[in-house]
Amino acid sequence: MANDQWRAAASAANRFGLGARPGDLTQIDDPAGWLLAQTRRPPSGQEAFDGLPDSLDYLEREADVIRQRRELKREGLATRTAAGAGGKPVNPLARIYVKAFGDDLRHEALARWQLAATTDTPFSERLVRFWSNHFAVSVDKGPARLYAAPMEREAIRPHVNGRFVDLLLSVEMHPAMLRYLDQAQSVGPDSPLAARADQRLARRVDGAPARKLGLNENLAREIMELHTLGVNGGYTQADVIEFARALTGWSVPYPTQIEHGIDAGNAFLFRAPAHEPGVRIVLGRRFRQEGINQARAILADLAMHPATARHLARQLAQHFVADRPPSTLIERMTRAYLDSDGRLPALYAALIRSPESWAADARKFRTPQDFVVAGLRAGGIAVGAKPTPWEGFLQRLGQPTFMPRSPAGFTDVAGDWIAPDGLWKRVQVAEAMAERVPRADLDPLGLARAILGPGLNRETERALAHAEAPQQAVAILFASPEFQWRV
Amino acid sequence: MPSRRDFLSMVGLSAVGASALTMWPSVTRAATGADARFLVLMLRGGLDGVHAVPPWGDPAYARIRGPLALTPNGAAADGTPAALKLDGSFALHPSLAFSAQLYAGGEFMPLIAAAPPYWGRSHFDAQDCVENGTAVPHGAQTGWLNRAVAALTGVDGLAVATVMPLMLRGPATVTSWSPPIPMQVNPILLQRLEPLYGEDSRLAAAFAQAIANQGQDLAVDRNIQGGMAASMPPGMRARMASNATAMRKPMAQGRLPDLMKAAGTFMAQNHGPRIGFVEDYGWDTHANESQILTRKLKELDDGFAAFHAAAKPVWSRTVLVAVTEFGRTAAVNGTNGTDHGTGAAMFLAGGAVRGGRIGGQWPGMAPGELYQQRDIHATTDIRAVFKGVLAEHLGLAEGELASRVFPDSAAIAPAAGLLRAARAAA
Repeated sequence: MANDQWRAAASAANRFGLGARPGDLTQIDDPAGWLLAQTRRPPSGQEAFDGLPDSLDYLEREADVIRQRRELKREGLATRTAAGAGGKPVNPLARIYVKAFGDDLRHEALARWQLAATTDTPFSERLVRFWSNHFAVSVDKGPARLYAAPMEREAIRPHVNGRFVDLLLSVEMHPAMLRYLDQAQSVGPDSPLAARADQRLARRVDGAPARKLGLNENLAREIMELHTLGVNGGYTQADVIEFARALTGWSVPYPTQIEHGIDAGNAFLFRAPAHEPGVRIVLGRRFRQEGINQARAILADLAMHPATARHLARQLAQHFVADRPPSTLIERMTRAYLDSDGRLPALYAALIRSPESWAADARKFRTPQDFVVAGLRAGGIAVGAKPTPWEGFLQRLGQPTFMPRSPAGFTDVAGDWIAPDGLWKRVQVAEAMAERVPRADLDPLGLARAILGPGLNRETERALAHAEAPQQAVAILFASPEFQWRV
Repeated sequence: MPSRRDFLSMVGLSAVGASALTMWPSVTRAATGADARFLVLMLRGGLDGVHAVPPWGDPAYARIRGPLALTPNGAAADGTPAALKLDGSFALHPSLAFSAQLYAGGEFMPLIAAAPPYWGRSHFDAQDCVENGTAVPHGAQTGWLNRAVAALTGVDGLAVATVMPLMLRGPATVTSWSPPIPMQVNPILLQRLEPLYGEDSRLAAAFAQAIANQGQDLAVDRNIQGGMAASMPPGMRARMASNATAMRKPMAQGRLPDLMKAAGTFMAQNHGPRIGFVEDYGWDTHANESQILTRKLKELDDGFAAFHAAAKPVWSRTVLVAVTEFGRTAAVNGTNGTDHGTGAAMFLAGGAVRGGRIGGQWPGMAPGELYQQRDIHATTDIRAVFKGVLAEHLGLAEGELASRVFPDSAAIAPAAGLLRAARAAA
């Protein structure tokens, strides 16, 4: 294989994919074609998630847990903590939650790790993760906790190679997003629901809401700032409020509704009485639609806005090519998106076919998630029966799964991850991962060449050759500077 | 003292030392019923036996070891405390205080100048040879300890390792236990990484800071295998000296004690594994050996203590053997370390060990006594030691040992007299 070709294969597997497995580089004889093929059909591996509950199942079971907790509280158990095994105090409320959902959370995580470690379409899988982070939901917000992983499976995965508008709609209608960004409680100030609530508040009737119902603009703002236009996308505060009004009514079935047997049939619920009536003006355009269709129309409009095209192009280029991607590349991608009516494969194709994407200075620093996944793939490490070690590594490395603690998601810029403590912990994790690499016929030098291709430095090669033991050589490989970069 | 030493109960080195073997079967059968425990501790990287068990009585020692020389008569030039005297010829490194206590109680035996049959100085090949139990690297796809488990009935094996090591791979079903994530990083790994990060302009500063934050002091050794880097960077010596004090403080326990404690806990159980395996890394001391071994030998010593404490109920029936793939050069290299060599030290510990003495035969370290003018000449084949333990302690028949466990090793006689006769007869 010619050296250029070899380098491109390594880029395809390591920078565009999730990290090469031994043998991958020799099989990628047409790097661009290999990537393009992965954008032409839905990502493979959907069966990894077979048998996992859907969001409606979770909502129903959650309603039951909430009922149990209410009963416990009524019995006064909530305030005291019983002594559990080993004398550690146990909050009975927390115990109910773990009992109800602990296995689910583990299964969700495990399926995701297994797929990442073994997928044959790693570019698609990286795209899934890219969009999942683009539409970040942070599970430290309790009400969203159960739904982040299902959102990726249900709302992102099916649309990752489709039109952006479909991806956008399915995400913004998902309970994870609706709860995470407080949309589920947003009520139009002039809606019938708000009027009724005001009356009941005034009369202090039993069961009246504890507070005045009103607008929450959180989701509307983040859609414009993060999901579509970008922070400099030309929208104003007035646009945010108008969009928030249009979004009123987009919600999730309440636990009490589910408890009372109201069959939502769907994890999304449009509450017509909460919807703010009237025409909305967003970015200078009038939206006369009624009910749910109003925000849908705005989202469709936002999806095809040139600022959105540029924002998405920049984010993708920054994720795959360089922390400061060349403007020519962003320009070409933006045009491809707009010319294709917002088809994501066209956007990806522009990225893949651009020479800038294969330039010698194109490189990205691996985030902790990339680092651990790449180690699993390179080492042929079995994920095992529990996700715990891998999730534990990510926690230590500062990138706990689905917990960016901000709707902006995790950064993918080198400067944000290159820090002494982070590098130190990578060495620790590299050592721990290396211990998990199967030992039979382990040839660390061959492995390093197979996954890094021409990117393997002579010095590292020497260090590998002189390592104390094959396992330690693999630790050197995983901890080496080359392994921290997607070149 | 003589430059060559023969010890009273020498480990069998040659095929002819077989006169005692006629008694073997009767002894072994008696021992078998005793619910014996056997743990192998593999120290990967090549432990410098000369530094761990300084042959201070050897007239050539102080000169050839120079800055690394230790003596029971006082602290070394770099501040390392006096070695712990065992007898007129040998001592233990000061970090091995618990081991010295066991030695005084007759439960610890350093065994000097041992090596696997492969003398080629490659880590990987030497370890493979130590583990596969044949005369050559890659001579078998399974490990001798696994084949030993298979040859015993009703005995379980345990590897304290995430992935099954070669020594325990094979036909017998053995379990493994996953150790926790290491908190302390192997110092040799850091030493190897430091120059690599030095070459990456984007990562160099952060990595250097990371090392500094951890209080690690590692000489940058750019010429590891050659080992002859002319001199240390300016300031390095001063930095080392100031850190030498810090290095002598009691260190936070490393990883090995935890693993040894786990092994001891499992093996002490009534129906627990009788055969165990633990491994450790970080012994490849090409540079700054004194500091690294002060820390690593303390970890090893703490490891013995942790196992001893956890396995108390079975300690009297236990043999623990620590083995490494090779020893190191007799002479110090240009970076205050030593390079890959041949003859190495093993350690036997346990209530069943007839300790309180030095095992093996010291070949001497005067220039003419070295193997290829550089290494300690190995005088014991490690297979002889393991065969001796397996026969005497676990009752494996000699035929089985010579064919199945250590194939084609009939010429290597099992070492006699490693264990307490009283125990063996009981």
